[in-house]
Amino acid sequence: MGRYLIRRLIQAIPVLLGATFLIYFLTFALGGDPVQALAGEKKADPLVAAMLREKYHLDDPFLVQYWNYLTGVLQGNLGETLNGRQVLDLITEAFPYTVNLAIVAFAIEALVGVTAGIMAALRRGKFLDQLVLLSTLLVISIPVFVTGFVLQLLLGVELKELGFDFFPVSFNESDGFKAYLLPGFILASTSLAYVTRLTRTSLMETMRADYVRTAVAKGLPRRRVVVNHALRNALIPIVTFLGADLGSLMGGAVITENIFNINGIGGLIAQAIRLDQGTVLVGVVTLLVLVYLLANLIVDLLYAVLDPRIRYA
Amino acid sequence: MRGATSAKWVAGAVIVAMAATACSTSKEGDGKAKSGGNITVVLGEPQHGLIGQNTAESEGAEVLNALFTGLVDYDNKTNEPKLAVAESIETQDSKTWTIKLKDGYTFHNGEKVDAQSFVRAWNWGANQDNAAEGLPFFSKIEGSDELAPGKDKKPTATELKGLKVVDEKTFTVTLKAPFSQFKTMLGYNAFYPLPKAFEADPKKFGEAPIGNGPFQMDGAWEHNKQIKVKRFENYAGGKAKLDGVTFKIYDNLDTAYNDLRADTIQIVDKLPTSAMATVSQEFGERYIYKPESGVGYVGLPLSTNPEAFGKVEIRKAISMAIDREALTKTIFNGTRKPADDFINPIIPGYRKGALGEVGTYNPTKAKELWTQAGGVPGNKIELGYNADGGHKEWIEAVANQLKANLGVEVTAKPFAKFGDMLTDLGDKKYKGAFRMAWSMDYPAAENYLRPIFSKVAIDHGSNYGGYVNEEFEKLMDEADKTVDPAASLKLYQQADDIIIRDLPYIPVFTYMSSSAYSKSVKNVEIDAQGRMDLANVELN
Repeated sequence: MGRYLIRRLIQAIPVLLGATFLIYFLTFALGGDPVQALAGEKKADPLVAAMLREKYHLDDPFLVQYWNYLTGVLQGNLGETLNGRQVLDLITEAFPYTVNLAIVAFAIEALVGVTAGIMAALRRGKFLDQLVLLSTLLVISIPVFVTGFVLQLLLGVELKELGFDFFPVSFNESDGFKAYLLPGFILASTSLAYVTRLTRTSLMETMRADYVRTAVAKGLPRRRVVVNHALRNALIPIVTFLGADLGSLMGGAVITENIFNINGIGGLIAQAIRLDQGTVLVGVVTLLVLVYLLANLIVDLLYAVLDPRIRYA
Repeated sequence: MRGATSAKWVAGAVIVAMAATACSTSKEGDGKAKSGGNITVVLGEPQHGLIGQNTAESEGAEVLNALFTGLVDYDNKTNEPKLAVAESIETQDSKTWTIKLKDGYTFHNGEKVDAQSFVRAWNWGANQDNAAEGLPFFSKIEGSDELAPGKDKKPTATELKGLKVVDEKTFTVTLKAPFSQFKTMLGYNAFYPLPKAFEADPKKFGEAPIGNGPFQMDGAWEHNKQIKVKRFENYAGGKAKLDGVTFKIYDNLDTAYNDLRADTIQIVDKLPTSAMATVSQEFGERYIYKPESGVGYVGLPLSTNPEAFGKVEIRKAISMAIDREALTKTIFNGTRKPADDFINPIIPGYRKGALGEVGTYNPTKAKELWTQAGGVPGNKIELGYNADGGHKEWIEAVANQLKANLGVEVTAKPFAKFGDMLTDLGDKKYKGAFRMAWSMDYPAAENYLRPIFSKVAIDHGSNYGGYVNEEFEKLMDEADKTVDPAASLKLYQQADDIIIRDLPYIPVFTYMSSSAYSKSVKNVEIDAQGRMDLANVELN
């Protein structure tokens, strides 16, 4: 187990290096002019632009720029934006919000999704099952920004007018946990639907397995059959999905963060793309690659916990 | 059955509503008609540290406007410059200017606003080593070349030769050449003063600037979140009425608008397009709709593609084939107005209908001119625009109008970003027509002509068409030299007439600003730059 862990971590190094190179190359190839982007719709003054280009080595060849970046990163310096802000600061400022939001969303999607899935699977074909199928279909088919804005208007504006101020329109630090509730739900909604359906199918299949029938025939209580025998096996594909999803929750919340004005990683990415800030983009995306790698590692380790036949050496 | 359920719902809602009004009335009771108080307003993340000399975009300017007061200010209605920190600004020849300061203005840290505080700020902005966005504004002052000799050269001076401190309250400015609009220009944020404290660490200063305006910083700038300011008690101009203002930073204006509807924030001075259809109904008197300084053009690459756009008849035909009225009504929902002069309607010197015939929709005449001039090579025009700014619809509408009225094949060509289009235009990779816009730096007719159509503007401004006309240059110089404001304005208008005759760009529309505020505030005014006049805002 320990050796496996070390091997996986060592494997992560070339993946990370490759990722930075690829992303750096892509943002470089994309072109765009961060100096002009900073000046907006008026032409950047040629002298000011030249001074900025020189200061940030924007005219250097690609490999030189990449090398400078890489040596900087190894010394813990993720670079600086054209307006003088440290990329590391930008990330550390934004990351906590994204993590909080991801945790809320993940909790909603895992708890509600798995529970609804189990209930639907055990009442196959009944009203509850139909209801779950229908509502998840609805959630999957409506784009997130529609649900987001509609619920924001209904719960944030209309409901507040009625005196219930539970779901603020936009994020405010002082609102604490409350501020994450609606965005977390919106962010979780699509995955929630998938988790529900996945749990339902997976559990239904396992319930038909021979060993479950044996367990029932042995006279075990139904609860024990479902939870300890069937569910444990049925959870493997769900854990895989949830693990991958945790990664995307950490970085993929561009739309939700934008709708609710949460200044997390998603907003940072959107801003960096808009302003052609390559260094920010590389820093953030590399971080996301790291998060994905870790999430996958955790998933792989969880397999062994769920299924004793799987062992790592 | 269905009726019964909905009746239940309605009853439920009524009870809830009654309970809600009950508690909200009690809340409103204590906040009634009291001066002071705090409000929250919308903002986008500023691009630079909050230093006037390094700010060239609207969001930073909005905050700076609350924190700083310049030598002059502009009247909210007429846009004429009026003295603010300056006691007097005088000149005999438009070349040497004597500026006297009023007593009583201090920075938020108690330091006096003296002549040196302006000289300090301008010297910093003019120095190329600081790469400040406002640098070009100092190029008119004598000695600026020594501070900004160009790339790969080192500045040979740190102080502008043209700035002389006479005494604590007086300084003189010598320009390289006479410039009659200098006084008007001084209201721009690049000319704000800076205190001694700035020199120690400009970067840190930009995070929590010490200004001389009606509001002072209340803690440092919280990036991407908010900037809080509070009333400056020793302000010598009209003291602010509110205790404090929080600029809440939004990435999405739709969210800000929903927050305004919920009264979580009180003023939104840039409404999202999605709000335009219903805002006047929803906000009534609290919806402000007024002309703004922007102008939208269709630009033509005269120097790189003279075969197509070299003939003035072709340019006139294009202009007359555009139905500005229909465009502004249907595409923009009235948030733009048809342009009828190169000078924006809010600027002293604007003449209604100055474009005359070329600004009037006349497809028959357009087709006639077009055919007489022989059309364009290949009977094809490209119309470039940046796809990230909501320009697709109107550019395509213009393309369709040209197609229908001139019988020419028009393709709308999207560029990912505005900068990409500018690069391709500069490299002569793109030789088609292009969308272009201008909004003023300071309210002068001159500012709608020189930065866009002069020779200097080919490198240092927005003259992407490469238009050059010696007669125009001469009139502009003449107007710069003329001390008498009325005579000078007349000359600028004559220069405007030449642009109207030559039509290097085709003005299509001017912008309208639309803002709204919630029930809890009053006395909200938006100035010509689209900034909120926060010092006068009061709570209801």
